[in-house]
Amino acid sequence: MSSPDEHVPLSPTDAPQEPDVSPTTAWQRLHPLSVWAGALVAGVFMVPVAIVGTIALVMVGQPLWAPAPLPATVAFLALTTYLDILRLRAVRYRVTAERMEMRSGIIAKAYRSIPRERVRSVDVAAPVYARIFGLCSVTVGTGEKVGSGSDQLQLLYVTTEQGEWLRRDLLYRGAPSNGGVSSEGAADPDAPVETELARLRPRWFAYAPATTATLGVGLGAIAALLGANAQSGGRGWRWLSEQTGLPNAQEVSSFVMAQALLVLPLALSGLVVSGVVVLTAAAVETWWDYRLTREADGTVRLRRGLLTSVSLSVEGRRLNGVTLHEPFVLRSVGGADVRAVATGLAAADAQKTSAKSRLSPAMPRNEARRLAADLMRTSDSPLDVPLLPHPRAALRRRFTRAGVVTVAGAVSAATLAWLHGLVGAAWWTVVHEAEREIIAVPLATGVVESSPSWVWAVLAVVIAAAAFWYAVGSYRALGHGLHPRYLLVRQGMAVRDTVALERSAVIGWRITRSPFQRRLGLADVAATTAAGKGMYAASDVGLGQGLDWADQAVPGLLEPFLVRDGESGESRS
Amino acid sequence: MNADTPRLRPPRHRVDRRAVWWWTSQSLIITVFLTVVPVVPALIWEPPRAWFLLAAALIGGCGLVITVVMPQWRYRVHRWEATDTAVYTSSGWLWQEWRVAPMSRIQTVDTARGPLQRVFGLSSVTVTTASAAGPIEIAGLDHALATQVADQLTDTTQATPGDAT
Repeated sequence: MSSPDEHVPLSPTDAPQEPDVSPTTAWQRLHPLSVWAGALVAGVFMVPVAIVGTIALVMVGQPLWAPAPLPATVAFLALTTYLDILRLRAVRYRVTAERMEMRSGIIAKAYRSIPRERVRSVDVAAPVYARIFGLCSVTVGTGEKVGSGSDQLQLLYVTTEQGEWLRRDLLYRGAPSNGGVSSEGAADPDAPVETELARLRPRWFAYAPATTATLGVGLGAIAALLGANAQSGGRGWRWLSEQTGLPNAQEVSSFVMAQALLVLPLALSGLVVSGVVVLTAAAVETWWDYRLTREADGTVRLRRGLLTSVSLSVEGRRLNGVTLHEPFVLRSVGGADVRAVATGLAAADAQKTSAKSRLSPAMPRNEARRLAADLMRTSDSPLDVPLLPHPRAALRRRFTRAGVVTVAGAVSAATLAWLHGLVGAAWWTVVHEAEREIIAVPLATGVVESSPSWVWAVLAVVIAAAAFWYAVGSYRALGHGLHPRYLLVRQGMAVRDTVALERSAVIGWRITRSPFQRRLGLADVAATTAAGKGMYAASDVGLGQGLDWADQAVPGLLEPFLVRDGESGESRS
Repeated sequence: MNADTPRLRPPRHRVDRRAVWWWTSQSLIITVFLTVVPVVPALIWEPPRAWFLLAAALIGGCGLVITVVMPQWRYRVHRWEATDTAVYTSSGWLWQEWRVAPMSRIQTVDTARGPLQRVFGLSSVTVTTASAAGPIEIAGLDHALATQVADQLTDTTQATPGDAT
């Protein structure tokens, strides 16, 4: 365990040049260079397309039109850039002692204003094209609707110094800001001290490929190649084999069929290797230079990113809990990552929200647990609280589902076996033809033809075994518990999430029961909250057990609506 | 099980009796619509007519059973209660749901009435909290009562301190 003493207090190394940007009450503009950042991106994508278009027109025999694409593109870029300049000129923002305000719009004027105490998170991102110009975007999250729009206010783009200053100032809950925050550098000794909670260790990247996507990404790459080949009607492969003396499709497929034991493992490892490369590269891009710090005023700050550098700040008070996220593959190699349960981190959709709430890359489980405990600022980690198991009936429900899957698996295996018996039939040649059209190397039909019919029985047994193994695993994942300040729920076999939610952040209860749950005396007891997903449930908990837990977690809230078998329920009125 | 096992007691008030008719007509409209969908191709195409009519009969049969059973069942389940400290509701029929929200965390209280509810003189009260889990809805109250409940909830909410998050 790490004691608080181990945290390295950091000196204010990169104190921004605040005197330049301190006039808080004045209306300010976005940086004029942001227009050129946008134009650069558009240009990088569109100019090559235009050049390709010119070449294509020449080759098709339309030389008259050939010079057209390039000027057209330039004109289009000029127009969009001009419109962008107009848009940019219309945007004004300012930060006063009470609120952040923003005016925008050329024709339809918009004015939005956020009270400063409603600011929950500040997200400073610098994509590579903005970084070239020393710019960054600032997204201010409030956790609730602002006016008619989304719950966010976004500035595209301001200078890096301005972004840093906004980040610091907007979440600063000290004395009301009248430009005086800027003098913090030397005068206020404890203001700029931050505590480091985590810092990237390169060996964590070893966990990056530990996802089910590893095979999928490799498969995707190969499928894209095969798809391109099929688009060209198989010409691609034929051309390649003629040029380089490779065997043609028939030879390849007969070779594969003959050497299946050799070729299949090789192909599989090829998939894995390409997946590993892609995912590791993605992880390096996302988590390079990762640092998680707590600033003097309690704000938690995340910094990461190689090409797009991201800095996300969450007000300490709004960090209502932590999720220990363990997908199956990562879990089986002893890894986990940590996610925030916080207000004001919501994004456009659920997937983006969960991406935004990630506070750490995949890392060893013990370190993830330690980081989670540090984030929650408790002496004894809520994640160390032993969780209560759910009733046996919950296991029975999962066995029933596994049984359904088993039956479905057996039925489909039997159907496939029956079709297998018809391999000789006339339509089978049609399937052959279809496959040859789609991929250059027809394998699937060949595999089916050469495999004996007992394979289908094995398939049915494997499905059944997997279903019941999954059922036991997901039952053992179920658990709920209480810590003096947090409540805990855990569930999930494919993705196991252990959630610690601050008890004071619970804003209601929702108990749901399906007909099956009513028969078995079970219920889903969910705490609703403003943070994170909005609701965290103890699934398939015993009704009495779950209500007891909820009643203890938030004393007084559920109490008036409970009857205990010991007393007479009707007496209260 | 020990003697101290808690259970949820039902909320104190039932919804209005007219809600049964509201749910019935709602279910009937949906049933009619879904039954007509396969009937249209049955009128146009000769050969598969029997199959489409069979589908229509199945859908219509299930719909009618639901129309008869569901409203009575819902009427037994749907209940609500507002104390000084919390709002407590139960709803559903096959899948049932109980919800509690403390007064200090309530953000807004609205009443709403759809065209069908208006026919039966009913209203819904919607209580919103900061959670993304959705608002608490008390559907099928008498219109006058709904307005009164909403006013009372608004008053209690304003008198209760808390920043609603």
